[in-house]
Amino acid sequence: MTVSSVVVVGGGIAGVSTVAELRKNGYAGELTLLTIDPFPYDRPPLSKDYLLGAKDLESIALQAPEWYSEQRIDLVPGLVVALDPAAGTVTLSDGLELSADRIVLATGGHSLWPDVERVVTERLDRPPAGLGIPRSTTGIHTLRSAEDADALRHVLLPGARLLVVGAGLIGAEVASTARKLGSEVVLVDPADPPIAAAVGTQVAAWLHSLHAVHGVEAVTATVEKLESTRAGVVAHIAGETEPRTFDAVLLAVGMAPDTAVAKAAGLEVDNGVVVDDHQVTTHPKVLAVGDCSRRRGHRRAEHWEAAVHDGQRAARTILGIDPPAETVHWFWTDRYGLHVEVVGEMRSPDGDHQTVVRGVVGEPPFSVFTLRGERVIGAVAVDDPNAVRAARRMIDRGVDVRASDLADPAKNLRSLLRG
Amino acid sequence: MTGNSGNGGNSSGIRVASLDDIPEGEGIAISSKITGTEDDIAILRDDDGTCWALNDTCTHETASLAEGWVEDGDVECPLHSSRFNLKTGKVDGLPATVDTVPHRVEVRDGEIYLFPGERP
Repeated sequence: MTVSSVVVVGGGIAGVSTVAELRKNGYAGELTLLTIDPFPYDRPPLSKDYLLGAKDLESIALQAPEWYSEQRIDLVPGLVVALDPAAGTVTLSDGLELSADRIVLATGGHSLWPDVERVVTERLDRPPAGLGIPRSTTGIHTLRSAEDADALRHVLLPGARLLVVGAGLIGAEVASTARKLGSEVVLVDPADPPIAAAVGTQVAAWLHSLHAVHGVEAVTATVEKLESTRAGVVAHIAGETEPRTFDAVLLAVGMAPDTAVAKAAGLEVDNGVVVDDHQVTTHPKVLAVGDCSRRRGHRRAEHWEAAVHDGQRAARTILGIDPPAETVHWFWTDRYGLHVEVVGEMRSPDGDHQTVVRGVVGEPPFSVFTLRGERVIGAVAVDDPNAVRAARRMIDRGVDVRASDLADPAKNLRSLLRG
Repeated sequence: MTGNSGNGGNSSGIRVASLDDIPEGEGIAISSKITGTEDDIAILRDDDGTCWALNDTCTHETASLAEGWVEDGDVECPLHSSRFNLKTGKVDGLPATVDTVPHRVEVRDGEIYLFPGERP
């Protein structure tokens, strides 16, 4: 059957990549993109330049406004509350029903709450309505949307006291941005160092040490209790005798996929809407991409580029054309003016790997490679992005390299790639 | 389109580098003071040895495309891996959404000549 109508649910990077790839490959049928946002925008800047105020929402749009009409994409505002896979319909919160030959779920996710006791003893003062100031009632924030970032930015004034719970990518980025805005920051995470699995222990420890260098108090602990009071949020940090009071708290302990609609529709859900290698869910008319989905037999990828590739794969599945080439996962993060990129795995599952440093850890630019035998399986680079670009190609192409060559900054990585 | 007031329509182009100065797959940035254009211009050498020129600053965020990874007809931005077509300047990969500006280059006797503001 030729597909002549597609509805994509969700206007994040996965949804937009899906519709873009459909049109790029000649899909001429009806195409609808449903979004709960004012328009599709890019999320990585929300913890960086957007939070800082250096970029506004228009400047982080994923596509120019006219792109949607040029590409004949119906950009429809709305929240999907129900899905009927067999009928090929979705129902919006306002009762509108849309039907299509294929439905692509790109619903993203929401911030997790850590296991803390949360008590609201008194509601905080709210700014009066109508001033255009986002109104947080509890002083406790999460960060997934531009609205979340707006609410957080309004409290990140010079001298404001911010508690960041979770020192992963987003927690560390917000800590860095908050310092730039002049806020006082306490960053709490039970892991020491955080993100060791993603970037390797050595780099993780150095990256974490930068918080103190930039005036952030990094505490290795959990938060046991948060109380919203008129004076601020009172936080009970494990191991501390006295609670501390903050103007705002950011919970940055990870995300959970938005799967409620898929689950209610009877699709298989297991830490994400389960999809096959073609992004198809357990119903052939419904596909899922990005943060809301998980490929069977894989970990759920939560990175920007993985969402792009999901969307491209889904579009090609719908059109019956070959999927894009598989590539190892890649992400970046920015903190304190440093650009960090990571590709692949910094640890092998059985621990049988070798770590090779190119340059000096702590003196950017440098990079660290993980080798298994003569094959690179992962790399992290600080202010040396082309090292990661080379590593990615070494991994994707299965190029054999010698550890001594990788460790020698005089050896051109590109020439190693040529073998 | 950027102007080319700085070289006054020089019909033989501006000699910007020797071919040997740029390894295949890499690039160099030529200052706007030399090119007379608004932005610096990146001279990019594809892995097949051919030379191309694009505005140097990525259209997404401030990064130098001359420091990017050049391969298979594209340059990949060193910051967020946006990809631009070397020949046309068109976006071949997000997050950039705005095309960049290509300029004509010519290689004569192992020397690279740039024609700022001229389409390839």
